[in-house]
Amino acid sequence: MSRVLIVAKRVLTQLRHDKRLLGLSVMAPLLIIYLLKIFFDTMPKGFNNARYIMPITAFMVHFLAFLLCAIVLVQERTAGTLERMFINGFRRIEIIGGYVLGYILLATFQAIIALAEALWLFDLSYAWADLAMLFGVIWLLAITSVMLGMFISTFARHEGQVFPFIPLIILPSVFLSGLLINPEQLPTWANWLGHAFPLFYANDAIQEIIGKTPSASVIWTNIVILLGYGLFLLTLASRTLKDVE
Amino acid sequence: MNAVEVRGLTKRYGNVQALQGIDLSVPEGMIFGLLGANGAGKSTLIKALVGALKPNSGDWQVLGLNPLRDQAKLRALIGYMPQGVALYEDLSARENLRFFGSAHGVPELEQRIGEALEFTELTNRADHAVYGFSGGMKKRVSLACALLHKPRMLLLDEPTAAVDPHLKVRSWQLFRELANAGTTLFISTHLMDEALLCDRLAIQQAGQILIVDTPQAILEHGQTQLTIQQAGQTSTHQIASTPSALAESLAGYGLNPAVQAIALQPDSLETIVLRMLQKSEVAQ
Repeated sequence: MSRVLIVAKRVLTQLRHDKRLLGLSVMAPLLIIYLLKIFFDTMPKGFNNARYIMPITAFMVHFLAFLLCAIVLVQERTAGTLERMFINGFRRIEIIGGYVLGYILLATFQAIIALAEALWLFDLSYAWADLAMLFGVIWLLAITSVMLGMFISTFARHEGQVFPFIPLIILPSVFLSGLLINPEQLPTWANWLGHAFPLFYANDAIQEIIGKTPSASVIWTNIVILLGYGLFLLTLASRTLKDVE
Repeated sequence: MNAVEVRGLTKRYGNVQALQGIDLSVPEGMIFGLLGANGAGKSTLIKALVGALKPNSGDWQVLGLNPLRDQAKLRALIGYMPQGVALYEDLSARENLRFFGSAHGVPELEQRIGEALEFTELTNRADHAVYGFSGGMKKRVSLACALLHKPRMLLLDEPTAAVDPHLKVRSWQLFRELANAGTTLFISTHLMDEALLCDRLAIQQAGQILIVDTPQAILEHGQTQLTIQQAGQTSTHQIASTPSALAESLAGYGLNPAVQAIALQPDSLETIVLRMLQKSEVAQ
């Protein structure tokens, strides 16, 4: 466990030193939420903003956590520091654990400020219990995104090769996960494909939490699936993060 | 016990046969050089020795351990410096050392970090971010990372490539100090003058070891062109590069027959340039 903390501490120290990256990863969601505010202000009165705002906030945390983790891990590989970590005695599970822990702290911070700004700008108010649930879902999605980033990083030989995965994995989830429309309106195959994205379950849980008649069983089912998704990706990431060529 | 025992080691990357049946023995406590051009398979061999690569076939042991089966045990005993600097450039030299050192659970880590920084002459820049360092300084941080846990064996992949002559000389002084203290050093290089500083040398080409011997013995495989001017006449002879061959050739020119061997060790161009630079620094 102590070596997991050592890796996490190093990830956080690096982030602290890289003020530009840290600043951008915090400022970007804030800016996008502000732009969303301008966009939704053009909608007719009575338009259900919340149905879009909360899932989009979750999406931004998901996207940034995925991208940052994938790029930094590819950098580790190309710079030779990942190989050096292994040869210095760090084990696979310690490296993965350290990364998850390090990025979770960043993702938590992102989730808190993005959620706070969205609530404030759009004048949304929820019961504390619902807010805690919303935060929990976004946080869980962020963990899954870190795992997804870690898994995807194994397919990229340099940072540039991470970007093709954005139109391949991240963008389709915007259209198929129910972020913009009810996925049941999609053709059956597209609806099924939507189930392959973690954002689908996060969105389903969020819509239920902010809906008029929330169903605890739907919320918890989605949370459990999201957890399972995270564990599945963790297994994949730990199998693909190789310590021997 | 030999530090390295390798028999019939092969490694293939697609159509490229990077290692073609390598046989190698490296005794403990010496500086062993692996000389070869870029692409000869030096890094592949070193990676196999540190357990970062799975060969296709062969038997190989480092410090009596199998690098793959006994990975954890071996990694506590060896220090590895990769060809690239492999450092976190956003972190300071000290933070890099703290991170890599903590993996080994080095006792009194802060004290060891101080010693390693002093040994590599980095104390003054210890708390500066690595990205502002010169290539040579990064190499020294990388070396310090490999030294922290006082390994029994150091495997250094081109440790002085792209390093200026002064740092190169200083690095080799460090290597010799470590070898004198009992550490085995396995160093790959493509620089001939560096290879001469090793106790024993293997020449690798296209994934094969061509020869393993002392640098002096390898030099004696060569030929020396001897040009003699006498009474206005110049004569040129090709002789073996051995001290006895030189004495034998000169005997015909009146050298006292009691002289059996003459060995010349001219400075390398690098040594000459370095000495000039030092003289100029003193003059300034």
